[in-house]
Amino acid sequence: MPRALRRFVLLLCVACRPAAPDRPGELVDDTGAHTSLAAPPQRIVSLIPATTELLFALGAGDRLVGRTRWCDYPAEAARIPDLGNGIDPNVEAVVAAKPDLVLLYKSGANRGAAERLRALGVPTLELATDRIADIDRLTRLLGRALGLREAAESLAARTDRELTAASQPAERSTARPSVFILAWDRPAMTLGAGSFLSEILERAGARNAFADLPTSSAQVSIEAVASRDPDYILVSSAEDPAVAGRPEWRVVRAVRERRFLRVHGSEFNRPSPRVGLAVRQMVAALAAAGR
Amino acid sequence: MKPILWLLALSLAACIVGLAVGAVALAPRVVLGALLSPDAPAAAIVREIRLPRVLLAFLVGGSLGVSGAALQALIRNPLADPYLLGISGGAGLAAVLAMALGLSGAWGVPLVAFLGGLAAVGLVYRLSSVAGRRLDPRVLVLAGVVVSAFTGSLMTAVLTLSNAEQLRNAFLWLLGGFSAASWRTVAVFAVYAVVPVTLLFGAARALDLLSLGEEPAQSLGLDAPRARRLVYLATSLLTAASVAVCGVVGFVGLIAPHALRGVLGPGHRRLLPAVFLASGGFLVLADALARTVARPTELPVGVVTALVGVPLFAILLKRSLR
Amino acid sequence: MMLRAEAVSVRYPDAPAEALSEVDLSLAAGELVAVAGPNGCGKTTLVRALLGLVPLQRGRVTLDRSPITGWRRAELAQAVALVPQREETPFSWRVDEMVGFGRYARRGALSPMTREDHTAVERALVRCDVSDLSRRRVETLSGGEWQRVRIARALAQEPRLLVLDEPTASLDLGHEMELFELVRRLVDEGLAALVVTHHLNLAARYAGRMLLLDAGRTAAAGSPAEVMQAELISRVFRWPVEILPLEEGAPQIVPLRPGSPSRDYP
Repeated sequence: MPRALRRFVLLLCVACRPAAPDRPGELVDDTGAHTSLAAPPQRIVSLIPATTELLFALGAGDRLVGRTRWCDYPAEAARIPDLGNGIDPNVEAVVAAKPDLVLLYKSGANRGAAERLRALGVPTLELATDRIADIDRLTRLLGRALGLREAAESLAARTDRELTAASQPAERSTARPSVFILAWDRPAMTLGAGSFLSEILERAGARNAFADLPTSSAQVSIEAVASRDPDYILVSSAEDPAVAGRPEWRVVRAVRERRFLRVHGSEFNRPSPRVGLAVRQMVAALAAAGR
Repeated sequence: MKPILWLLALSLAACIVGLAVGAVALAPRVVLGALLSPDAPAAAIVREIRLPRVLLAFLVGGSLGVSGAALQALIRNPLADPYLLGISGGAGLAAVLAMALGLSGAWGVPLVAFLGGLAAVGLVYRLSSVAGRRLDPRVLVLAGVVVSAFTGSLMTAVLTLSNAEQLRNAFLWLLGGFSAASWRTVAVFAVYAVVPVTLLFGAARALDLLSLGEEPAQSLGLDAPRARRLVYLATSLLTAASVAVCGVVGFVGLIAPHALRGVLGPGHRRLLPAVFLASGGFLVLADALARTVARPTELPVGVVTALVGVPLFAILLKRSLR
Repeated sequence: MMLRAEAVSVRYPDAPAEALSEVDLSLAAGELVAVAGPNGCGKTTLVRALLGLVPLQRGRVTLDRSPITGWRRAELAQAVALVPQREETPFSWRVDEMVGFGRYARRGALSPMTREDHTAVERALVRCDVSDLSRRRVETLSGGEWQRVRIARALAQEPRLLVLDEPTASLDLGHEMELFELVRRLVDEGLAALVVTHHLNLAARYAGRMLLLDAGRTAAAGSPAEVMQAELISRVFRWPVEILPLEEGAPQIVPLRPGSPSRDYP
């Protein structure tokens, strides 16, 4: 074939390549498994509260046909059928909803369910939803999967802007109070540096008193807490925590002086587009406690 | 009609009930259609999820029942159950360790649990040998208690040092259940269980004699030490595999042997096949109940067998003491 | 058929002394031998040694001139039947099932019971006079009935030698006599029998030979007249006794009040 003709044919082929901005194509989940979707899924089972929230934020809430009982945001999620737990889920209930995409939390306990769903021909993505960095990644991944790239782009950008704005006060100030996260009181358990709540603390300008924990959560002794002498204790309830009234906790200065940081709200439980809001609330709580 | 035929019919009925119920309500017509044709609606649920689950529960139930009956003859105590050998502790500890070390995959943890169960049995055997009385029932029971306490405390230590996710996963595994049943699991378990179950059926007369005591059995012509070893090995293999597949499910090894001994007499030739069918059916029904009572959440099947088993056992005891 | 024990010695693990030392015994068809002695003298150990149930420190036991350890359990059970001293079963067997266990040695693990087996069981039930109990459950039997059922089980093995370990413990007078009469009848019909008993007087009347053990050693062996000597008996049992004649060759022991001198009746 003459060279000019060849080039013309090539050009034609390139020009005629079907525009596929909204075809999901090949997706890689957080275990490295490849899933291909022929078309944007219309019946999604989201077994992770974080992705349920994300899907609504992307405007795809009407495509959900199943959620976990822990998916509590937004309020519209209550209308989606509750399929039980997200960890070791009821595969029969999931399959009965006839999904064309299932979102599973990445965990050893879910490996079996993921394999069984895939063996039944249901596209399944195992996703890690543990850190702030996951928000952007998941927003874009779900945007691609659902054929909502533009919505995803703008959501990701907005989330990032809000987060940056919320973190500004912290970057400007030099004080970095130490905070002990009281995840559970009997026995005392806390969260280490790798957890979402700890990351929010850091962005809000505080520092996790137990940032050096080798695991993401652990039981700690009251002595250890006392020796690290945190400036504040983070609790998730509106009233004073039970430890305030326990004599053995009085060795901890923050308990004696009642220096409690109170935050609550589902935006603190999981990485979501509301992360900026969470950081803002944390900053406000720190400021209020400082006074 | 002969009792064994009654039992066959009843266990078949139990399997049908197991297929008919679940997290999703399906009409019997739909279930039947799904069984007959792979393209029927709800076929995926019935054929790929419920059917393997029912079959696995039946096989595991039968294996645990027969193991329980055999152990009761071996230990000469009608209250013996398969977990007396220390298996549950060893399997649990191994599973918890594996999960703490990040072992994943659908086969990793069950395999490790299986090996852990056998290791515990080996330890119990060794302990009873050290006392000089290999496979003496009283020593076996004591050694089993000791090993269970040991593995239990190690497991607690591992769990204390775990993070929240490992703790949750360990808890889920320990509670057990048949939610992970797949055709592959059924096939592996079925092929594996054929030899030990056949061995136990074949040892029926030996079990009769062993229940009389070592000296009477020997003087009646039984090679008692060899018979003991075989029975011990077969029951250990069956119980370890059961725990690996579905966690610790109690009372299955106790109820059917007790109930059927009262009806069929203690002769093991008639008893063992009957126990297999009855225990299998019992576990299928317990699993069906576990799946439906709190749907869509599932109760651990061990909870149901205990809640049903304890009153049933009390009734049986009362009747036998009269 | 000949059972022979030569210089048999047994020591249990971690025991300070031997349970049995250099004991000889022989038994042939048509003979009833009684083994007696104080508590702990090794009678049951001797029974275990004779059946190969316990390893020997020294000496050997042969049956028909071949060592007992060379016999397979099932083969041995077709020749020798044991009625152990104590037996408890947790399950509720029927009498005919229990006696049927005696056929295991000939039937094995898998073959079904034949007509021959059922006949042997019935014959054993009749000989021990427990036919009318055949459908009863063993836990409902009295001590004497349970004893006879176990002897029937031993007879169902169709052995050439019957070993009974303390068969009259917990039997009343009438049942004791009945049991010895039964064993004597069986021996007269051609069986060999070894009876371990603490009932010296009955042993003297029914046994052809006696073996008296003391702390694992032979204190005396021979005819009842040779063994039932006042000085010997009172030394072994550490109690003064008087020997009285009852029948020809079967002297009887009468224990005396402490402090009285032992004496034989001249």
